[in-house]
Amino acid sequence: MRVILLAALAIATVNGQVSYERLGSSHESANWLTYSGGYRSWRYSDLQRISTRNADKLKLEWVYQMPTTLMVETSPIVADGVMYVSEPPSNVVALDAKTGRQYWRYHRELPTPINVCCGQVNRGVAILGNRVFVGTVDAHLVALDAKSGAVLWDVAVADHKTGHAITGAPLVVKDMVICGIAGGEYGIRGFLDAYDAATGKRRWRFWTIPEPGQPGGDWAGDSWKTGGGPTWVTGSFDAEQNLLIWGTGNPSPDWNADSRPGANLYSDSAIALDVDTGKLKWYFQFIPHDTHDWDAVQVPVLVDDDWRGQKRKLIYWAHRGGFFYVLDRQTGEFLMGEPFAKQTWAKGLDDAGHPVLLPNIEPSPEGTYLWPGVQGATNWYSPSYNPETKLFYLSYWENRSVYRKGEQEYTAGNRYIGSVPLIDLPEDLGNGGIRALNPKTGAKVWEYKLQTKPWAGVLSTAGGLVFGGSDEGYFFALDAATGKEMWRQNLGGIIRANPVTYLVDGKQMVTIAAGNAMFTFGVE
Amino acid sequence: MSRLATFLIAIPLMAQQSDQHPPPSTPADIAAGAKTFRSHCAPCHGYNGEGGRGPNLAAGRFYHGSSDLDLFNNITNGIAGTEMPGNFYSAVRIWQVVAYLRSLSANIEKPTGDARRGAKLYDAQGCARCHRIDGSGSGLGPDLSQIGSARSLEHLRLAIIDPSADVQPRYWRAVFEDSQGKKINGFLMNEDTYTVQIMDMNEQLHTYEKAGSVNYRIEKSSAMPAYTALSADEVNDLVAYLWTRRPQ
Repeated sequence: MRVILLAALAIATVNGQVSYERLGSSHESANWLTYSGGYRSWRYSDLQRISTRNADKLKLEWVYQMPTTLMVETSPIVADGVMYVSEPPSNVVALDAKTGRQYWRYHRELPTPINVCCGQVNRGVAILGNRVFVGTVDAHLVALDAKSGAVLWDVAVADHKTGHAITGAPLVVKDMVICGIAGGEYGIRGFLDAYDAATGKRRWRFWTIPEPGQPGGDWAGDSWKTGGGPTWVTGSFDAEQNLLIWGTGNPSPDWNADSRPGANLYSDSAIALDVDTGKLKWYFQFIPHDTHDWDAVQVPVLVDDDWRGQKRKLIYWAHRGGFFYVLDRQTGEFLMGEPFAKQTWAKGLDDAGHPVLLPNIEPSPEGTYLWPGVQGATNWYSPSYNPETKLFYLSYWENRSVYRKGEQEYTAGNRYIGSVPLIDLPEDLGNGGIRALNPKTGAKVWEYKLQTKPWAGVLSTAGGLVFGGSDEGYFFALDAATGKEMWRQNLGGIIRANPVTYLVDGKQMVTIAAGNAMFTFGVE
Repeated sequence: MSRLATFLIAIPLMAQQSDQHPPPSTPADIAAGAKTFRSHCAPCHGYNGEGGRGPNLAAGRFYHGSSDLDLFNNITNGIAGTEMPGNFYSAVRIWQVVAYLRSLSANIEKPTGDARRGAKLYDAQGCARCHRIDGSGSGLGPDLSQIGSARSLEHLRLAIIDPSADVQPRYWRAVFEDSQGKKINGFLMNEDTYTVQIMDMNEQLHTYEKAGSVNYRIEKSSAMPAYTALSADEVNDLVAYLWTRRPQ
């Protein structure tokens, strides 16, 4: 551990900036340099100064209060003692990672109105060199000076007046900023973009909804123009194969599919793109012709491991529809899929991984009750993979919704959902918690039940811990092997964010957003 | 002044603001407003404006301005500090939505009972032992000071003769017994994974660790007795009195 720490500090001292090599390094545990803490998106740290032995001694180090009443979903970046935090709707602050004191603040003036389906949120920033990158709810991508917060460039990714917004954290790969788009409830045509980190010039765009004549372009009539397939959660990067692995969201309109017969490619899919060209190498569609808004916008977890006797490059993916999938990362081949939460829509998955649908599951004018609910059995909040326990951890939900089919009418910039679903049943709100899965079988190893449905991601560490949070405001640490609670603290505000960990002055810190503040804990 | 009169008087100002001709108010326009409402607004405000994630819009009360122009602006631009977004519909369509919202409360059913007799009945039946109106009475049950604008006549009637038919979660009861045999029966104020917050029948507040319970359960029936001994006329009188309880 000491060697790793010294190596990380040496790199920081020599370079003084965050290079691409550092982003992909496995020796950067003192920092948290990408959204998921590494290109494989394990949201795992090999730091172990906070462990099962001393987690009960976790104490508050500092709090940073945000001047906002909007929901905070941020996952910070930490680089060489500075924490970069996105604030909703589209602001950024740089904080001293040791004290929480502010260095600078970028405030974005936004036009009105801004339409974002589920709140004007932002889930984080990206960093490269002396630049910090943030997407905005008015669909711009902005590069900021990492030392001062000054705007270096600001480009329009799309028109916010047509329902486009950026809520996810960008991902830097090589000299590019990869940027997704939100707007699946506004009838956008989804895409994933790459921008030159130095200039802001767009390198490539991959349309997640192909036009007629292109592979996958079998949408009826003009429905492809409003077909959805957003890319609003940060994906992963396989450096060996030079592949971006990213998830796409629901086809539009969500719950009335009359206008879009067919599979609706590449909505609700995992897509693998050559990072230099944006060309599609393979795809796997979790739910062809989705009618329930079960986006595939989860973080793809990339693992190299034995699979039934063979060394394979794998993807672990807990999907919103309630199944845990294992895919081959080289081909997209479906290897396994097992339910991880209650679901009443599929008898199971066939050999190709396609759902075998049960009858009477379609949204209807009178309403169709179904597990999981509209928000899924899991959602955008991050899972974690721990290479020591070899377990996959996630926040899960057990709840149902009433899926109603309603009118659909496209008008630019306005909702295009085709329904009025009852997302939460007032007298049957459901519940959730944290589950550890054996990714080789999909079997549940342990669970930590919560009264409510958690919107917080999980972080696992070499200290044998899993950190998570709840809507009740509790931040907690669990034994990664057993799920036993080691520590918890009520932070007094809803937690809808992902935790991160880092070192500062040799001390391990754990940070999560709760309410409208960032909380950082350490052990003396 | 009727809603319609307010609406018509406000038209010149609205037209100026929206740069449109006088806003529509025909049945066809209201129907068009309903269609827009159901595709854009209903996911939060309910299919018929009854509320959900967003406030009830069918009672004729609006917390961020009740004039037609207030409604137009709030629908167009959203409401800062809330989850209410703006939109990109044309001014005509926004006015249609305003017309639809007005229609929701234009034909509210009137009670047939006698409100004065109902007020006396309220006192005679001891309703104030649990309920509060304009500061008088107990805080144990729901405050009824403005209940007339929040509930339909049928809902009020049902709440009297069959109160368990629709109990808000705030009035579910928690029964908690600890390892020493101490038992608390009260209203479930709040609950999380580890603790429960209860108001007992003496309006005292308690927090308990669930881990310390030997018996903990939630009863979703109402603590209020069913007043089935009242005659139909008496129920109507009581409903009429409660219906008058609304913002002045």
